Amino acid sequence: MAHNARTRPIAAASAPANAQPSASTTPPATPAVTKAPDEGALGGMDRILEGLWHLLTSMKVALVLILVFAGLSLIGALVIQAPAGVTGDPQAKAEWLDSIRPKYGGWTGIMDQLQLFEIFGSIWFKLVVGALSISLIACSIHRVTGLWHTATRPHVNVGERFFEHAPQHEVIQLHQGADAAAAQVRETFRHHHYRMLSEDDGVTHLYMDKNRWAPLFSLIGHLSLLFILVGAIVGGALGYRDGNFMLAEGASAAVPTVDGAVIKLEAFRDSYYAETGAPADYASDVVVYQDGVETARHTIRVNDPLRYRDMTFYQAFYGTAAAMTVTDEDGAKVFEEGVPLAWSTDDGARKVGTFVVPSAGLTVWVIGTAGPTDPVVKPGQMRVEVYQSSGDGAPVASETIDQGKAVEIGGLSFLFNRETQFTGLSASKDPGAILVWIGSILLLVGFTVVFMFPHRRVWGRIVARPGGSTVSLAAAGRKETIAGKEFTDIVNDVRRAFSVPSRA
Amino acid sequence: MYKMSEYAFIAAVLSTALAMIGYIAYAVSGLRAARMQTAGVSMGTGTFAFVVGPRTASIGKYATILGLLATAFLAAFLVFRALATGHGPFSNMYEFSIAFAFGILAAYYWFEIRYHQRILALVALPVALALMLYAMSIPSTIEPLVPALQNNLLLSVHVATAIVAYGSFTIAFAASVLYLIQPAGGRWGLPKPEVLDEIGYKAIVVGWPFLTLVIVLGAVWADVAWGRYWGWDPKETASLVTWLIYGAYLHARVVRGWRGSKSAWLLILGFGATLLTYFGNLFFGGLHSYSGLG
Repeated sequence: MAHNARTRPIAAASAPANAQPSASTTPPATPAVTKAPDEGALGGMDRILEGLWHLLTSMKVALVLILVFAGLSLIGALVIQAPAGVTGDPQAKAEWLDSIRPKYGGWTGIMDQLQLFEIFGSIWFKLVVGALSISLIACSIHRVTGLWHTATRPHVNVGERFFEHAPQHEVIQLHQGADAAAAQVRETFRHHHYRMLSEDDGVTHLYMDKNRWAPLFSLIGHLSLLFILVGAIVGGALGYRDGNFMLAEGASAAVPTVDGAVIKLEAFRDSYYAETGAPADYASDVVVYQDGVETARHTIRVNDPLRYRDMTFYQAFYGTAAAMTVTDEDGAKVFEEGVPLAWSTDDGARKVGTFVVPSAGLTVWVIGTAGPTDPVVKPGQMRVEVYQSSGDGAPVASETIDQGKAVEIGGLSFLFNRETQFTGLSASKDPGAILVWIGSILLLVGFTVVFMFPHRRVWGRIVARPGGSTVSLAAAGRKETIAGKEFTDIVNDVRRAFSVPSRA
Repeated sequence: MYKMSEYAFIAAVLSTALAMIGYIAYAVSGLRAARMQTAGVSMGTGTFAFVVGPRTASIGKYATILGLLATAFLAAFLVFRALATGHGPFSNMYEFSIAFAFGILAAYYWFEIRYHQRILALVALPVALALMLYAMSIPSTIEPLVPALQNNLLLSVHVATAIVAYGSFTIAFAASVLYLIQPAGGRWGLPKPEVLDEIGYKAIVVGWPFLTLVIVLGAVWADVAWGRYWGWDPKETASLVTWLIYGAYLHARVVRGWRGSKSAWLLILGFGATLLTYFGNLFFGGLHSYSGLG
């Protein structure tokens, strides 16, 4: 918490302990660590708890945790991370590990054991985020009362020694009396947007400050990170995400998590720039029906998702589809839809899609052409392979069929109407996102205020003497700094107000 | 407009190079003057006292004018390029590198005007010039935007904010380099360590909230275009690493034992992370891997 130095610089100098020599050796800009007064009387357990609390509220510990967090994230940026689908499936995981083995060689197994390929779900990452959160909460609790008191009940009387030891201090000898001097100091500081508090015990003690609430915004900034963390956890636990929501042209599918809602793709369009061939636009024209009534119509583009209730559909990918019609022996249509050829054969040459005919208990694979040189499936053809849906998935029959010609396979008539397109959408619902956005706003507001409006404090002391008074002014912070320059400027203004020649 | 933008860029490269020579001459003559003084060479003869002092100052002034000119040319480049392309000039590595150089120069002059420490230019300007030379090495042709980048508002704001942040981080880097190379005793006429420490801090105090904004705007854009606000895309992750390192730096400045050179090292580390984030597109892959280089 960067402004700590500014919020508590006087702690050492203002306490009664002020008179002890330690006050002069400790720079006032460093908050002294307060030790429990009766340390010797503490029991073992108490001492452990106190030590733990000390550890949790230690900024050094927080600092190290932040750097460890950064280190883990760096691993995540530099080491290939396993895709989402792979981690839960041992077989897919093994295949994926084999695919990256050429890159990492013998280290692959060790790195996998250390969870480096899924670092953001790893035990290390959870431990660090957990520890950081606890440290953040502990630090906030530890500091809130101090910050509050600094803003509301600052030490006005900081003792004489402070004016000798503060990094910046000035003494002005005046002919005016103490009251007139105090009034003029107040006026000059008001000009610089400082308020002034004063106490009088024969000596007039002054305290001038501005932006006194700003340090509390540091707490807002820090706690906003917890908002974001909670938002992420809520989103992970209660959210819905399907990154492979595919619809062929003309096809419909139920809207996930929304009862009675169906989304239909009317058309998909992709266009390319003439000169470069680079993609220019992907657009999916979709309609949503709620209980059979059209309730939404939208063209989903990459930067223009469809939001329906709390589901959102994003343009993610696209590809070719085969419009298929399947009729049974009685001539009744049992399937009529576009089949997205979203997968490919192991050699990557042919596009593959699949659908199910529930009434016949069959699973059908549709395989596209590898191009004009393909000896098995020529352009304008589709290969249809039919398997049993249940049991061991035994093959029933397979055939390569021409476009527009119905062919009987496994007791059903298959017709490949034409090639169309499908759109690949990403469907998601994230109830935690709102917390993340609130947290983000608080984060920005909190830290912008802390850094833009630092709390500035000046202490003063006016002592009456025969024929006038002596004004001492002092502030923490070094002379060379901008804050130091502000102090010098104000002091010069005070001198000018009293017509005392200023010392630049 | 495209031609105009290219001319402005060439002019900017030339004036930056000249400004750099000016700053080096300024530093060398300042160093000599400082050595004369510390070596106890008598100023009584008058020649050095009267010649070196004013000459040093005027060399510095010329360097400043040239550098400001370079900044203006880069601004002109960005304006012409935006007019030529019809969107914020930040859509590929060519445009972004020049914009980054502009951010460095703008941040540098903001600090030169406030702190009068021209010596920072010895680190900041070479970084800016290197980015411009890098930009010269890659194609400058205007190519239409791929669908993911077709969001002019977010493209412009997200990247413009990044430039402010990166520019500030470069100044913090320059200050920390000068801080760390100072020998314990002699200072070679370099600024006081306290001043360098403060410049580094001020640069982060400006840059870090801007980086926060970059990441938040990036999350907003990711939510609109990719359907999630955060996905551990390598570039996202690298920006988080940068954010964390500078966050650690802000804490380090108030922790006893971390002030001074340890903090300065964190600024160097942070700048390394900044460059990693910046050049990450080129080798990370991931969703940010548009770059105009393919």
